[in-house]
Amino acid sequence: MKRFLVLLAVVFLSASQAASQQEGQCMVCHKLVSPGLYNQWHESQHAVHGVSCVDCHGAQQGEEDAFEHHGAFIATLVTPRDCGRCHTKEAREVQNSYHASAGEILHSQDAYLAHIAGGQPAAVAGCENCHGARIVIDPHSPNRLSKKSWPNSGIGRINPDGSKGSCSACHTRHNFTKSQARQPESCSKCHLGPDHPQKEIYEESKHGNTYYTNVKKMNLDADPWVVGKDYYAAPTCATCHMSATSVLKSSHDVGDRISWTLRPAVSVHKDNWLAKRENMFTVCQSCHGSSFAKGHYYQYDALVRLYNGKFAEPAAEIMKLIRAQKLLENPAEFGNKIEWTYYELWHHEGRRARHGAAMMGPDYTWWHGIYEVAQHFYFKFLPEARAFNDPKVNAAIEKLLKEDPMHQWLSRDTETLKKAIRSGDLQKQYDKLFQQD
Amino acid sequence: MWKTYWKFIRALAVNRLGKIGVLLAALSFVIFLLLEAARIAGILRSARIGLMTYMALPALFIIGLLLIPLGWDLLRRRTGGTVLQLLNRKFDSSELEGGFFGSKLVLKAGFLTLVGLLFVIFAGARMLSFMDQPRFCGTACHSVMNPEWVTFQQSPHASIRCVDCHVGEGVDALVKSKLNGLWEILSVTLDLLERPIPTPIHQLRPARETCEKCHWPDKFYGTRLKTYTRYRTDEASTPSYTTLMLKIDTGKKGEKAGIHWHIGPTNQIRYSSVDDEREKIIRVEVLERSAVRKRFYNSELAGADGGLDNDMRVMDCVDCHNRATHIYEDPEQALDERISAERVGRNLPFIKREALRVLTNDYPDKEAAMAAVERQIKSFYRRYYPELAASEAANIETSIRTLQSIYGRNIHPEMNIEWGSYSNHINHDKNGGCFRCHNENMVSDDGEHISYECTSCHSFLAYGESDPLKYLMPVRTRDRESEMHRYLREEFLDGYAKYRARPRIRIHPNCLLFLRQRPCSIRRLT
Repeated sequence: MKRFLVLLAVVFLSASQAASQQEGQCMVCHKLVSPGLYNQWHESQHAVHGVSCVDCHGAQQGEEDAFEHHGAFIATLVTPRDCGRCHTKEAREVQNSYHASAGEILHSQDAYLAHIAGGQPAAVAGCENCHGARIVIDPHSPNRLSKKSWPNSGIGRINPDGSKGSCSACHTRHNFTKSQARQPESCSKCHLGPDHPQKEIYEESKHGNTYYTNVKKMNLDADPWVVGKDYYAAPTCATCHMSATSVLKSSHDVGDRISWTLRPAVSVHKDNWLAKRENMFTVCQSCHGSSFAKGHYYQYDALVRLYNGKFAEPAAEIMKLIRAQKLLENPAEFGNKIEWTYYELWHHEGRRARHGAAMMGPDYTWWHGIYEVAQHFYFKFLPEARAFNDPKVNAAIEKLLKEDPMHQWLSRDTETLKKAIRSGDLQKQYDKLFQQD
Repeated sequence: MWKTYWKFIRALAVNRLGKIGVLLAALSFVIFLLLEAARIAGILRSARIGLMTYMALPALFIIGLLLIPLGWDLLRRRTGGTVLQLLNRKFDSSELEGGFFGSKLVLKAGFLTLVGLLFVIFAGARMLSFMDQPRFCGTACHSVMNPEWVTFQQSPHASIRCVDCHVGEGVDALVKSKLNGLWEILSVTLDLLERPIPTPIHQLRPARETCEKCHWPDKFYGTRLKTYTRYRTDEASTPSYTTLMLKIDTGKKGEKAGIHWHIGPTNQIRYSSVDDEREKIIRVEVLERSAVRKRFYNSELAGADGGLDNDMRVMDCVDCHNRATHIYEDPEQALDERISAERVGRNLPFIKREALRVLTNDYPDKEAAMAAVERQIKSFYRRYYPELAASEAANIETSIRTLQSIYGRNIHPEMNIEWGSYSNHINHDKNGGCFRCHNENMVSDDGEHISYECTSCHSFLAYGESDPLKYLMPVRTRDRESEMHRYLREEFLDGYAKYRARPRIRIHPNCLLFLRQRPCSIRRLT
């Protein structure tokens, strides 16, 4: 038995020795040939804790993306499964998150549009760089990654080992700090632009204002980083959506605190939304009183319902009718003008309005949001629908404009309307949108 | 006696042509003697005067001599008389007496011809030996050769002559070099040169004929320990050390191994490069006893010209030691060396950063650069460290002179030579040198690489560390680079064990001390 233990120890020691020799070997060269990468690693917590090259890039011979490199088997790609060997909880949370499925957009309208109206290079360099590509092996160069799918650090990357996502989407190579992921700049690599300007909304919001004025006080390197305790100047994206509060643990499932889905044409509550809202509520209360937080949701919910009821649902109905009546000239989806108009209505301005309200960005709620929704609905979408001259479609539009009190203003004169606003009568019809859930 | 010669010479000058000839020959002869005397006396040293003395004057002398018979020929044609008639007319009859060979005239002419011949031979010999002097090569074509002249004078080969490497021995080499020189005179005069002069110089003599005269290829070099000091750009210009044990020559039984394996007696490396510039290598062949053993292609240059056998160059000394003499420095390396040598004061705060900045700025010309180097360094210390500017004034002054000399050595605006105009292949800076072939793109048909393992050419005893022999110390496991430390330590010790049998290994005494009593504490070299 004793002999066996000694043997075991010898085997173990020599194995660890071999691995450490390889790492030493990597470091010698890469310190010279990729000094930026090396120095980032050198300042990282990984280096402090003795996690080096082979710990993450080491691979087994026979793995699809493992290639021989100076006597060691190496994989370029480090997947959440690799990271998860140490960061178990985080990897598990990521796999369950909405982020992890971001790479499956090939089935979505967005990717469809990029491929048909754009083309593959646009999809590769555009969509897939945020959403994540399906990583494939280069057929001409065994075990190396295809250049069409690498480099790619999209958050929903589909990896050859079956895992989804890329930790380096937020924890950028090669220092992988927590602090960078805690800063809004990390999220704003993707969350910006005409269809989901979270970055711009945050910058406009009071939250963003205070963050940028107080960024030095944010204690971003702290571990743990509990809002209200370790920092209190301002919240970042991570604060509300992921990080720890004195009540909640931090979570890598970004959807854990989100109650509405603002992504689709018509917003709906997410599964288990009450619990999720409760989570966010506790985050708000780290800094705000409960009536403040409730008031925010009161206003925000009403805006979402307004968008849904006044524009999104009727527009969806009309589009459905147009398709049912077979009025579209070109068979392919997005082959007709009205489809682009409708798409932008919900996918661009519609989302902007909702995101603006969710994150306290007034300009995005109104001018970049509902204002443009209304303009495009009344003066682009409806005229284009009417242009088909289809009796059923026209009847549906007439009915909507006549019977829905929210649209009746179109047939009334300014003076009456102003009077109704002053008296508060016009606002009353929206009372039903303001309700406390 | 003098009178008769004077009369003879005057009689030779039969017309204007003859007079010019006599004047030219006589004047150039006399001036030559004067200048040569001045040179021997050490009064004149300039290469331009030398050029006149040894090239222009003998040439004028010969032209003068040629004009004299031309004058005679003209006279004969004009007057229509025979030679004898003309001679009779011009000379006393006493001069012509005694038959052709016995006459005084012929004796005089013979004597003068002999003097002239001796003069031409002497001047020619002096010319050749003068042209063999580095001073001639370096300063005769001043603006063109100046950069090479400056760098040559500061090189390890400064005490041997240009022609020892560039011309070679024998009449063939001499003639070739003079013909080449004619072309160069023409191209300098007509400004046909490219600036900077493109390298490599393809018509250079083969290294086997030059370098190996002194650097005998069978010499065993062993390993060589070298510490490179690099100063950071912080206030203290903190040094960090990289200590390499270069495996130059590690073979046994006369076989070459290590870096000099490339020139082993049984090995031959051939390669082709893009535009034959020896920078981007297309194909490499390893020959063993004249048979191709391995063939590597640059996968990034697939399809580039240069795959044909007749484009192949056989690797020799200058493929790596391409700047063994005319060494242009890298600004940072130059600075680090001067700081190490205490010619730039490290006690001046931020001296590395500031010096590097002033050296690498763009200046309109050399004078402006020299002035700016001085002004900028002085004003930096005056502004930010006024007390030090006063107390360390001498130190600052010396440092400025050193910086100016670095600039003067390396930057030559008149020839468009800037930092990095010429690459040096002795190391692998900026992916040149060794890395031209030793890189991941050089693959053989069966997928084998040319090795580019760091430790195949050198072991490390420090790699950007504060201690130049750090890796001889035991590994500290909490150190971020402990894995690298362990690997490099073992690699060095394994290697050392292998080479230890060789008596001529060059290794620092501290290492020997260490190996005798390991682990031990080592006096730090700082």
